[in-house]
Amino acid sequence: MDPLVYVLDLIVFIGIFGIMSLSLNLEFGFAGLANFGKVAFFLVGAYTYAILSEIGVPFYFCLITGALISAMVGFLVSLPTLRLREDYLAIVILTFGEILRVVVKSERWIGGGVWGMAVSPAISIAGASARVGALVNIGLVYLCLVICFLVVQLLTNSPYGRVMRAIREDEIAAEVLGKDRAKYRAQVFALGSAIAGLAGGLYAQYIQFIDPYMFMPMVTFTVWIMVILGGPANNWGALLGAALVMLFDRGTTIAKDYLALAIDPINLQYILFGVLIILILLYRPQGLLRESKVKTKAIDRVGHERRATKNKGS
Amino acid sequence: MKEELLKIREVSKHFGGVYAVNGVSLGIRSGSIWGLVGPNGSGKTTLFDTILGLHRPDEGAIYFNSTCISHLAPHQIYALGLVSAFQIPRLFQGLSVLDNMLVAARGHQGDGFLNSLFLRGGWQRQEVEFADRAMEILELLELDRLALSPASELSGGQRKLLEIGRGLMASPTLLLLDEPAAGVNPNLGRRIFDGIENLRREEGLSFFIIEHRLELLFDFAHWVYVMDKGKIVVQGKPQDVARNPEFYQVYLGE
Repeated sequence: MDPLVYVLDLIVFIGIFGIMSLSLNLEFGFAGLANFGKVAFFLVGAYTYAILSEIGVPFYFCLITGALISAMVGFLVSLPTLRLREDYLAIVILTFGEILRVVVKSERWIGGGVWGMAVSPAISIAGASARVGALVNIGLVYLCLVICFLVVQLLTNSPYGRVMRAIREDEIAAEVLGKDRAKYRAQVFALGSAIAGLAGGLYAQYIQFIDPYMFMPMVTFTVWIMVILGGPANNWGALLGAALVMLFDRGTTIAKDYLALAIDPINLQYILFGVLIILILLYRPQGLLRESKVKTKAIDRVGHERRATKNKGS
Repeated sequence: MKEELLKIREVSKHFGGVYAVNGVSLGIRSGSIWGLVGPNGSGKTTLFDTILGLHRPDEGAIYFNSTCISHLAPHQIYALGLVSAFQIPRLFQGLSVLDNMLVAARGHQGDGFLNSLFLRGGWQRQEVEFADRAMEILELLELDRLALSPASELSGGQRKLLEIGRGLMASPTLLLLDEPAAGVNPNLGRRIFDGIENLRREEGLSFFIIEHRLELLFDFAHWVYVMDKGKIVVQGKPQDVARNPEFYQVYLGE
C-alpha cells in the first residue's frame, strides 16, 4: 500500500479522536464527570449519520443531526445519573454504552444489526485516488476539530469554565455559592455528547462502513488514555494525548505485520496500552501538560498589576 | 422597629431519633450582628445548614425577606442574598485564590452557558469590576499577594480567611459565619470582627455568627442566642447574656 496514504490515514484518525478527546476532557478534565460510556455517543453519531445519509440527506445535515441527537441522548442519560457519585456515574454510563451496542447489534432495522451497513463518504470525488480521498477527509475532520476546539477553549476560559472546575473540586461548596450543579452537569453532558456524536459521524463516513463491533468499550478506554496522558483540564493536552495514542496504536498495528509473535498481536497492543496507563499514573499522574488556568481579561489585568507592584517593591 | 430579615419558626431537624434542632424560633433584623453560641453538639451548625438549604427542616418554616425558603435548594437561597461561609473551609483547591473569589460573585453574566460563549464583551467588563472588588476584599484579609496562587498552597488560617472572603464576595444581604475567628491568631481574629463591623456600618450588611471566642463576639454582637441540646435557652443583649446564670450553666458546665 502507498505509504503516504498510511500517514494521511493516521492524520485523519488523530483528528477524529482529537475531537473525542476534547469532548471527554470537557466532561472529565474540567467538570469531573467520569464518563465511561463515551463510545455510546460515538455510536449514536455514527449510526445517525449512516441512516440519514442512506436516505439521501446531505452530509453536513447528517453530521449536525448526529451531534444533536447525541446531545439529547447525553442529556437524557445525565438526568437519572446527576445525583450519583462519580464512581456510580461511571458504572451506570459504562453499562449504558454496552446496552446500546447490544441493542444495535440485535436489531436488524438499525443499521443492519450484526451485519453492519455501508456508509457513503461525505464528499466523494469521481475517480479520485486514495490520497485525494484522505486529503478531503483531513480537510473536513480538521475543520470540525478547529470548531470544537474553539468552543471548548472559549467555554473553559470563561466564568462558566470556572464554575465547571469549582463543581469538580467541591460540589457542595459550589451549590452553596449559588451554582445549580444539576444544571451544569446536564449542560456539560449534552455538549460533550454532541461533540462525541460529531466525531462518530465523521468516523462512519471515513471508514464507509459501520457495525456494532466497532463500538466496543475499548474505544472509551482509548479516549480515556488520551486524556490522562495529555493532561486533564488542558485542551492542548487532550489533542497531544490523542496524537500520541493514535501514533502508538497505528504504529503497533503496522509493526505487527513485520513481527513474528507467539501471541495475537491485537492482544499485545492491549497489553502495551495497559502498561502505558500504569506508567503514566505512576510517574506523571497530572499528564504531560499541566492543568490550564482560567484566562479572562480580568485575571490578566490582576496579573499585570501584581507584577508591577512586585517590581516596584524590589 | 426594623423588618425581620430572617425569621425561623418552630424549626426542627432530627437525624434518626436524635433531635439536632428542636423547635427553634428566632428572628434577625437587618443591619446588625447576631451571635449564636452554645456547647459543641448543641445544634448550631445543623441550624445553619438547615437555613442554607443543605438540610430540609422536618418541621417549621424559615422566611428570608418574607419569602419562605425552607424548601428551596441552596443555590436558590444564595440567589436571594443569604450566603454562608463554612466552619471548615471548603475551597476549590485547584483554583487560584482569585478564581475562588470570582466563583462566588453573585449575578455573574458569564456563569450561563450561552452567555459565556456569545456575550463575552459583557461579562469581561463585568468581571473586571468583580476582580477589583475581590482584590479589595483580599487586601482586607491580607491575601492580595497570593491572589494568583492555587488555594491549595494557603495555610490553615489563610484558608479560613478565604472562606470568609468568598462569602463577602457574593455581596450578601445576610452572611452566616461559622466560627470566623477560630484557628486564626488572636490579633487577626479581632481584625476580622473589625472588618465585619465596618461592612455592617458602611454597606448595611447583616451577620449571623457562630463563635466560641466570646470576648470577640460579645464586643460586636447586638443580640446573642444561646443554644443547648437543639433549643434556644437564653437570648438577649451580650451584656445581659453574660450576666445570666443559665448561660454559665449551659456553656461553662457549672
